[in-house]
Amino acid sequence: MSSRDNTPRGLTTRRLALAAMLAALALIFSYVESLFPLPVPAPGIKLGVANLVIVMAIYKLGFSYAFTINCVRMVVSGLLFSGVFGILYSFAGGVFSILVMYLLYKTGWFSMVGVSMAGGVAHNLGQLVAASLIVENVAMMSYFSILLFSGLFSGIAIGFLATLIYKRLPEISI
Amino acid sequence: MIKKADVLLFFIILIFGACISWWSLSENQPGQRVVITVEGETYGTYSLNQDQQIVIEKHGHQNHITIKDGQVSMSFSDCKNQVCVNSGAISETKDTIVCLPNKVLIEIQSKQGGEPDVITG
Repeated sequence: MSSRDNTPRGLTTRRLALAAMLAALALIFSYVESLFPLPVPAPGIKLGVANLVIVMAIYKLGFSYAFTINCVRMVVSGLLFSGVFGILYSFAGGVFSILVMYLLYKTGWFSMVGVSMAGGVAHNLGQLVAASLIVENVAMMSYFSILLFSGLFSGIAIGFLATLIYKRLPEISI
Repeated sequence: MIKKADVLLFFIILIFGACISWWSLSENQPGQRVVITVEGETYGTYSLNQDQQIVIEKHGHQNHITIKDGQVSMSFSDCKNQVCVNSGAISETKDTIVCLPNKVLIEIQSKQGGEPDVITG
């Protein structure tokens, strides 16, 4: 990590432990969410509770930690629950989403709600583009409007939740 | 807590989504033909008015597609997530059923755009 040079040793270990815990938490969120699919016929519509952890990690630990946490979550949950194919698919959404969220966060113009909202939409867009590439057909892009609204509103919901949690998190030096 | 840029972005996405919805719904009409694509290549074209079952076997994967009463559905798939089977039956243009793990795509097309069917029409 680039911050290693100016961070005291103890703090690096603390960051690492916290990052590992957040990855485990994100994994559990992914798992619990997969146990209770929303009663809608359309695939891909979900709340994305794991994004709560990722948003928090961007704000608390920075991009490189958040990115790594997200990758660990996707690889492990893919291996455990959805198969190798599922990993590729979730990477398309997860990586695009975190890049968009970090860029918006960096501008400083957006609150957590806005960042999470854009992340939700970007996640669904990334997955749909990946799906279109996999079947080599753009026919399902018409499905995008449903996914766009679902990503928009679930992103907002997660954003509000993240704001509430962020305020209550104890101030620890990390 | 919420900033101006959030609201602005919200409305931009909302309007963008509304435009896409309007565009995709406005041209939706009952279809005539079922086009099945496997791994990016057209597997076959079938009439939506003729009840039948199509079995696709490729690379050890199996998908069963059922056309019944003017609707088409994925009745069986050996994929893990079963999203395609759960998507139900479709009958209108721009509707699709996709099985991503097996790379099978079902599309509905109207008569237009295909070969003209004047004689039997």
